[in-house]
Amino acid sequence: MSQEHFQEDKETDQYTKQVIENGLSRRSFLSRAAGGAAAAGLFGLSGLPAVAAGTAKTRDLEVATSSDGGATLSFLPKPKPIRDREIAETLTFDVVVVGAGASGVPAALSAAENGAKVAVIQKAPFALSQGNTGSGVDLATSEKAGVEALVARLIADSNHRCNPKLIRQWAYHSGEAVRWVIDRARQGGSPVVDQGSPVQRAILKVNGYGMGYVTSFFGPKPYTTGDGMRHLAKTAEKAGVRFFYLMPAVQLVQNKAGEVMGVIAKGSNGKYTKFLAKKGVILATGDYQNNKAMSDYFVPDVKHLGRKQLDKTGDGFALAYWAGGVIEPIGHTKMLHDFDAGPASMCDMPFLAVDRKGRRFVNETVEMSLLNNYLRDAENAGHYSQIFDSNYMAQAATWPGKLVPPEGLKNYMPDDPSPKKGVFESQVNTHVADTIEELARKIEADPATLAATVKRYNEVVASGKDSDFGKPADRLIPVVKAPFYGIHRRVRVSAICSGMLVDENHQALNAEGKPIKGLFLIGNLGGGFYGGVDYPLTVFGLSLGRCYTFGYLTGRHVAKL
Amino acid sequence: MKRTIAPKPAAALLVLLLTALSGGGLAAAGTAGKGQAARTSKHAGQGITCVQCHGKAAKKSAVAMQQCLGCHGETKELAARTAQVKPTNPHENRHFGTEADCNRCHHEHMTSENLCLPCHKFNFKVP
Repeated sequence: MSQEHFQEDKETDQYTKQVIENGLSRRSFLSRAAGGAAAAGLFGLSGLPAVAAGTAKTRDLEVATSSDGGATLSFLPKPKPIRDREIAETLTFDVVVVGAGASGVPAALSAAENGAKVAVIQKAPFALSQGNTGSGVDLATSEKAGVEALVARLIADSNHRCNPKLIRQWAYHSGEAVRWVIDRARQGGSPVVDQGSPVQRAILKVNGYGMGYVTSFFGPKPYTTGDGMRHLAKTAEKAGVRFFYLMPAVQLVQNKAGEVMGVIAKGSNGKYTKFLAKKGVILATGDYQNNKAMSDYFVPDVKHLGRKQLDKTGDGFALAYWAGGVIEPIGHTKMLHDFDAGPASMCDMPFLAVDRKGRRFVNETVEMSLLNNYLRDAENAGHYSQIFDSNYMAQAATWPGKLVPPEGLKNYMPDDPSPKKGVFESQVNTHVADTIEELARKIEADPATLAATVKRYNEVVASGKDSDFGKPADRLIPVVKAPFYGIHRRVRVSAICSGMLVDENHQALNAEGKPIKGLFLIGNLGGGFYGGVDYPLTVFGLSLGRCYTFGYLTGRHVAKL
Repeated sequence: MKRTIAPKPAAALLVLLLTALSGGGLAAAGTAGKGQAARTSKHAGQGITCVQCHGKAAKKSAVAMQQCLGCHGETKELAARTAQVKPTNPHENRHFGTEADCNRCHHEHMTSENLCLPCHKFNFKVP
């Protein structure tokens, strides 16, 4: 890390202070009790006297409370104590990683390469991840001022609400980490490539300073980072990491002082296994997008929007919360995309955009990654369409992005019989038609509404000034020449990427800002890296790049403890 | 894992027909348990009682997937039997491999659902 830029002072930084003050934690609970399993039941909602561990009834479940103490949060029930006789087996490792995803698998391999005996326990039957691109900064080809300018850009993208130290940590270590992931995934049989700097064309210069990138690409689809992590897991197995699949973690093991000693997981036969971790437990369980109550509480914006993942129920949040961790304040950063309906390279191109019914709704220079904010009502639910005519290749040639010619668009057309390549065939949603009304039917909009919208848009274009939404004149091209094209996109939740309070070692901090011994949080469960309303697409692949980098660093750190 | 139902679809259908013809289904449901749920049970039509799935505990709980496998066989065998299903094999997929929880799609006391549908155009008929 670039140490000279900021003071490593002992005082709590602004980000941490804010999370401790307004985040969700057990501060009041801990102030009254020493914590640990022995205290279970003392503060049950029922007000009943304390009962021995293991005998509490379901209706006496202790649940979390909101930061002001006013609301009880049913989505964070206190784990029920598990009796020793329910534990079928106890296994001991140096490091136990929970979750085999884009941060968990790298963390496990990194720890093993640094001499640790490592176990990974995973709820799913194999390693899982989403997406394709992961990015890092290539320090060798980047100007120092450029790296700092990029850090500043990312902080601004997060509305200055993130933890700058974590952004810098990514900036100064991600090149090394992403390169390492590429190399190790290849060893496991992955066809992963380094796309380097060209795909980051928009940020090759930041504030005029030159930059270079390492960009891992696990595509083309249907090959994704999920396959990539399965290949990386093979390398990890060869390095001695033991994987335990179909075993969700249900409880952290803590001693009386609150130190995390291990984790208990439940097998599909209903039996529990206790995994003791001599050096630390690394939680890499991902987000909570499939936990409706939790999602509605922290990100009410996405109530009506679809989900791109399954079984992301926030397990790690519950585990770490009850171990003393702090969840970032309400208003979590969300990520909503659709790179499948049509070419990804055209997603931000400012063609006429219409809502689900067929009405123009925005100045189209707003990026796809932000459009969810205009489409979050129950009726639109993330649906919109990009509309253009057959002159698009010539008329939009100078726009940012990359145009795909009509022949290439057929690859994204469900109605076109040509064989599909590099796409999820069941999710393509691009259409062509000879009339606007016919196009409307294909993109499931109202024909009369779309026809009126196009008519009005063409008037605006002809006037040379967008008096409806103020789009720049050089982004105004008419929709007049058949055939007409429509890409029906549907943004859904890719990830929720706010998490829980950690320090630069990715060690969980408690409500007093003190590290919780033995507990580390990475990936989308880790907090502090974002802070805005939406995930920024400034660096293409930042999310996976962050997961790899913090997995790589944390695995090594915990192995060396 | 022990099986009590013939694993092949044709044989299973035969069992279904025979039990339906004998009229044993409803009678079995009537005697099996006091809950209303049993009346909408597809299994009950085959003479299977509540207890066989839900156990004898006073408080009935959701049936674990292991219970399904006990009669219907191992997941990998099921996946092999549906390998030719178009457009893709529902029992071997990129989300869960062969280990998708049966209960996510196949419901016993209400209409089954296609878990793939919100995201994919896989129009499976889910029995």
